[in-house]
Amino acid sequence: MDSTVEQISDALKSVFGKLEEKFGARLLGSSVFRGELTFLVAPEDLVEVATYCKAPEGLGFDRLEFLTGNHYPERIEQPFEVAVQLTSMATNDRLRLKVPLKEGQKMPTLSSLWPAANWCERETWEMYGIEFEGHPNLIRLLTDADFEGHPLRKDFPVRGLVGGRIRTDLKGKI
Amino acid sequence: MTEFIILIIKLVLIIAVAVGMVPFLIFFERKFAGFFQSRMGPTYAGPWGSLQSFGDMAKLMSKEDLVPAAADGPVFRIAPYILFVPAFVSMTLIPFGPMDVDIFGYNVDLVVSSFDAGVIMFLALGSLAVYGPVLGGWASNNNWALLGALRSGAQMVSYEISMGLAVVGVIVMANTLNFVDIVDAQAGGFWNWFFIPQLVGFVIFFVASIAELNRDPFNLAEAEQELVAGYMTEYSGMRWGIFMFGEYVNMVVMSAVISTIFLGGWRAPFEFLDVIPGFIWLVSKMLFFIFLYMWIRWTLPRYRYNQLMDIGWKIFLPLAIANLAVTALIISVV
Amino acid sequence: MAGHESHPTAPPKPRATPEEMRERKRLSRQRVSDDSEFITVSMGPQHPSTHGVYQAVVDLDGEIVVNTRPNIGNLHRGVEKLAEVKSYHRFLPLTDRLDYISSFAMNHAYAEAVEKLMDIEVPRRARYIRTIGDELCRLSNHLLWLGVHVMDFGAQTFFLICFRDREYVMDLWEMLCGARLTHSYARIGGVAADLPDGWVEKCRAAMEFMPRRLAEYQRLVEKNRIFLKRTVGIGIFTREDCVAWRVTGPSLRATGMERDLRKTEPYAAYDEVDFDVAVEYDADVYSRYLVRMKEMYESCRIILQCLDQLPEGDYINQDAPSQTFPRKKQVMRDSAAMVQDFMQTFRGPKVPKGEVYKAIEVPKGEMGVYIVSDGSSIPQRLHLVTPTFYHCQATPALFEGEMISDVVGIFGSVDIVLGDSDR
Repeated sequence: MDSTVEQISDALKSVFGKLEEKFGARLLGSSVFRGELTFLVAPEDLVEVATYCKAPEGLGFDRLEFLTGNHYPERIEQPFEVAVQLTSMATNDRLRLKVPLKEGQKMPTLSSLWPAANWCERETWEMYGIEFEGHPNLIRLLTDADFEGHPLRKDFPVRGLVGGRIRTDLKGKI
Repeated sequence: MTEFIILIIKLVLIIAVAVGMVPFLIFFERKFAGFFQSRMGPTYAGPWGSLQSFGDMAKLMSKEDLVPAAADGPVFRIAPYILFVPAFVSMTLIPFGPMDVDIFGYNVDLVVSSFDAGVIMFLALGSLAVYGPVLGGWASNNNWALLGALRSGAQMVSYEISMGLAVVGVIVMANTLNFVDIVDAQAGGFWNWFFIPQLVGFVIFFVASIAELNRDPFNLAEAEQELVAGYMTEYSGMRWGIFMFGEYVNMVVMSAVISTIFLGGWRAPFEFLDVIPGFIWLVSKMLFFIFLYMWIRWTLPRYRYNQLMDIGWKIFLPLAIANLAVTALIISVV
Repeated sequence: MAGHESHPTAPPKPRATPEEMRERKRLSRQRVSDDSEFITVSMGPQHPSTHGVYQAVVDLDGEIVVNTRPNIGNLHRGVEKLAEVKSYHRFLPLTDRLDYISSFAMNHAYAEAVEKLMDIEVPRRARYIRTIGDELCRLSNHLLWLGVHVMDFGAQTFFLICFRDREYVMDLWEMLCGARLTHSYARIGGVAADLPDGWVEKCRAAMEFMPRRLAEYQRLVEKNRIFLKRTVGIGIFTREDCVAWRVTGPSLRATGMERDLRKTEPYAAYDEVDFDVAVEYDADVYSRYLVRMKEMYESCRIILQCLDQLPEGDYINQDAPSQTFPRKKQVMRDSAAMVQDFMQTFRGPKVPKGEVYKAIEVPKGEMGVYIVSDGSSIPQRLHLVTPTFYHCQATPALFEGEMISDVVGIFGSVDIVLGDSDR
């Protein structure tokens, strides 16, 4: 990793140094690709790292760019991953935090830090089945309320009919 | 007996004028809209699309008469007519020409009823028309319709006050409540018409009439972009058609009333033009106001509800009262 | 460059501090009585001015909005799932269907991200053509927005007047790529075809004509007291709110923040043309209108500059045959080009392993594409970070305390299209 750190900008280098210094061994790893810095964070450390990233006295990444999941069926141990992209409005630097997750493992919500994370987490939950602890309103967002399954998992078929009924018993629940 | 027959003929003619104008007004409105918006408007049905309204009417009549399950059936069914009927009654008050005309050897007054409290009658009928939208919106059992009904009720009631006060200036000058006498008071050329001494009252009356008619920029009761269709949300088919029809009839009546009160009614602008029948003068004045309504509708954006109320209560009402006070003062001094 | 007129400068407004803006926002929130019952209405999906199939279940206290529960997804087509079974080339037409009002900008965002992943150069001429395309999209998008926005306030004629002038842009697109709405004009490494003969002159004529029409619109709108009454001071959304909810684009610039990805991280040919970032300071509906109006003038200016400086050269990268298409004319003459075309179509490009995020400034805000590649010719994961998704999410904060009549105007002023948010 040390050779690739040379590719990133000076500002990101200082971010890299600060994060390494503050959290050190608790970070699971880091990578650099095309000038983008990515850190791997354990789910239990995520809120702490994200708070530090957001705080103006910390790193100042004040905007959540996106939050989304990913599914690697070939990784037996931790098949899921949540990516959180942060942007600093002042310097326009970007930082990505990635959280590897076991099947069924819960992840802390970031919607209290960034309101914009609310729908992203709902989408991630409905698409991958990754639960977010403490999320105020974890219900389906894009698919129907009676949709079953998590469509963006790799084992979900691309073709075929799922659902398609009109439910009348959901009145008042949506 | 002959008087009764003449009365029936006059009533039929009045209704024929008011109803017969509507399809063409709708056609004109669509053509004007097309003109303002640099497009064609209706073109297919009839020459220049002039039969479009009749086609629309046939379509609306052939549609199913839908009444929502949760609606209050009888009220829902009757509401469109409540908007419709007072307009016709108001039409009987408007003089279309001089009194005691000799037509085929009969002495005919060219007005259905020369009613002494005509102006008050007109204002009262205007208040009755509010019940149409309010009851229709309430009976629909739909929140959009309810909001539209409440808006239309509040709006019509508050603009009626300014409207009534604006007319009082004319009443003070003409010293009568009868439309026939008001027209007579404006005889002898356009410089005697009341819109010159009563300019403030005229403007207030005209703007308030737009609010009464629920047209842009005051069409908050329908407000397609906000309330879907306001009190008409649940209406479809011919009942919706009757609501629309009623609005156009109201427009005809309102323009007739404005022409009568402020623009000399059936009288010609110059006395030598009296050879042209008064009926034609009145209709052309009406068409002028109808064109104004259409022009305004297709040009201006809509006010917000509270801004409309502000204008009604904080600007127009004090202005109307001041206008009345000044008029009364001048009349009493001169 | 000097000849092209810029936006006629309005008298500068005082720069509002965040505190002032917050105070104004507080004042714009009317009091809601405590002991009243609420009317619940469902705005959408069939409501006439939710601009698509967006639904907001709104609790009203009289005319004042108390709660908003937004609901999207009625246009969900599973684009991200489809991306995982299509090669990088084949996914490009699907990006048209995101923001179908400005589809070339969507193509462009996707192509930029893939190019960043593959690390390939785009020829200079292609970058200029892309810049022109982006600005044409911005122009047509803002023209449509302006018409719809003014129509939201009840002025129906304005809508069609704007449509009339949008036709000039649409005609340009039709001449350029044959499509008026879903362009699919960008390609990985360039664009699909070179500019046709006579296009430059036609485009120049349209862009020289457009500012006059824009000035006419300004007269129509900015001198209209009703429009001013309906927009000034309404729907204030402060800078902090925008950052917290990831509201981007003109809504963000209307709060006084000079953030435009065309300037902050220039892509295509934006570093070679001269333009100003449109900024307003009052964060209300009127400021958002002004920002878009200025952007339209700037778009005309950028396009004219690009046409003046348009370099000669290739319209698609020819140095990376394993990743881009050949020139279409060569395919039927040159066997190598034919094989390249065949391989690109049926096997897809060669892509390194890795993941990238690239955002560009589309008319509605910042559109980002996040691609995770496992080294095969189809993406392992492709996430589309669309501006409207976040704009829709912010609606409860935007609507709260406003009147129902203003809600449609405020909603229109953040500019949404549901194909963008539902994906």
